[in-house]
Amino acid sequence: MVSVTNVTKAFGDVVAVSDVSFTVGPGITALLGPNGAGKSTLFRMLCGLAAPTRGEVRVLGRDARTDVAVRGQIGLAPQQDALFDRLSALQFVSIAAEMHGVADPDTEARRVLDFVQLPVDDPKPVGSFSKGMRQRVKLATALVNDPAVLILDEPLTGLDPVQRRRMIELFNELGEAGKCLLVSSHVLDEVARLGSKVLVIAQGRLAAAGDYHDLRDLMDDRPHRIRVRVDDSRRFAAALIERGLVDGVSIGADLEIDTTDVDGFGRSVAPVAQALGVRLREVAPLDDDLESVFRYLVERR
Amino acid sequence: MNGSVPSSRAVAITYRVLLRQLVSRGRIIALSLIGAVVALLGWVVGRARDDDVFLPTEFNDQIRLDDAVATVTNIGFTILVPIVSLVFAAAALGDTREDGTLVYLWLRPMKRWPIVVGAWLAAVTVSLPLVVIPMSVSAYLHDVGSELVIGAALGSVIGVVAYSAMFVLLGLFVKNGIVWGLAYIIIWEGVVAAFGSAAAKVAMRGYTSSIVSERTGVEIDIGTLAQSTAIVVPIVVAIFALWFASVRLQNLEVA
Repeated sequence: MVSVTNVTKAFGDVVAVSDVSFTVGPGITALLGPNGAGKSTLFRMLCGLAAPTRGEVRVLGRDARTDVAVRGQIGLAPQQDALFDRLSALQFVSIAAEMHGVADPDTEARRVLDFVQLPVDDPKPVGSFSKGMRQRVKLATALVNDPAVLILDEPLTGLDPVQRRRMIELFNELGEAGKCLLVSSHVLDEVARLGSKVLVIAQGRLAAAGDYHDLRDLMDDRPHRIRVRVDDSRRFAAALIERGLVDGVSIGADLEIDTTDVDGFGRSVAPVAQALGVRLREVAPLDDDLESVFRYLVERR
Repeated sequence: MNGSVPSSRAVAITYRVLLRQLVSRGRIIALSLIGAVVALLGWVVGRARDDDVFLPTEFNDQIRLDDAVATVTNIGFTILVPIVSLVFAAAALGDTREDGTLVYLWLRPMKRWPIVVGAWLAAVTVSLPLVVIPMSVSAYLHDVGSELVIGAALGSVIGVVAYSAMFVLLGLFVKNGIVWGLAYIIIWEGVVAAFGSAAAKVAMRGYTSSIVSERTGVEIDIGTLAQSTAIVVPIVVAIFALWFASVRLQNLEVA
């Protein structure tokens, strides 16, 4: 339903998306990547809002940048918070329905607002809505034309846990109904709940693609870097190497340790310090953030 | 839902949405005040000059008419008409582009030109009463006859139509369209057009002023065009600007 072939997008000297290719069919596909990885740029190209510098983007076999009709088959919930703030939620969604040529815009707008659990007849302008409510207005707008392809850019941002659960259930319902959903997130746990198909994008490149559980294993098995502060760095480092607990050690003001067996290292570090009679002051992971995971995935390609 | 939305419907929907976005209390009050000042000037200038008892009546009438035309063209067509048009037209699509709401117009199965025309109509709808009413009242208060009132009203309508199209286009090209538009009004319409009839032909003020000049018979340096030319050329400029804005919108990278 969606195909991206060797797509590159550059803004002057800055390459936002670099030679990305993938195809996506019905169901949910999560696009995982840190902020600034190129997810939104990729989504903008899918919707035709931006033209690729190189490569080809197709939605339902057509180019949304030049094909007016295919835009009626796409529902987008953009990342940015902007809405026509003076309209009520019903007016906003109803106008979107009209712009899509929906036969009964008011009825359809009411249906999708109810679907995302927003009060249908609330006369307040959306400008006065909370972040979570605005997010749901965007989702309702994306759904109002019953699109074949839904592109949802960080749709769970700003929602409380109950709303998140409800939205994820809703996405799963839509995916099971045969819609193609592309959902971006920079939060690993969110992606875990969205389904099994994952595209990982980092530094503008497709770092990994496939089943979420395989990807999770890959992430857990990567080498980890840990900072250790002890009284006698050299003797402690020698002991760790001797016991085969680390793959590499860098000795500076603190020790920086590389290991692929984080659990084993964690279990042994305190007993080793005790055996040597050195004082263990700090053990802290240096690369536990998602950025590091993505960097690893990019570098291993 | 397959296929594109009919263009007439797309114009109507865009018009409705953007009209609602454009009308804010602050804008209306600020621009109404400028209009009120222009109308007040008409009243002041119309009464400020005592007739010269040594001149024949027709001479005194002609001097009063000259003063009235100068006020209407210099204040009205140089300040009120372009500035009111700028505020609304540059914002019509420019604001949506800057705040990110353009995506809700762009990503719809609608051709681009109805979006541009809808935006332009919304800007014209708000600008016209804020311009035509004070300009007509100002001309009326000068108390120099109906031709000035007709000329001021007609020139205002033509000015709003053309400026609005130009500034809708501007809003799709630059950020801070108001600043760029003001620079254009001051430098091009204000200074360059004042260099005489040749220069005035490349400024909209030359055309709006020509309408008043033709109707009242008062010669103005920058208003030497025939009335038909002064009406047709701004309309052609508006059509070209709207077409160009449609092309620009099609090729725009929407954030």
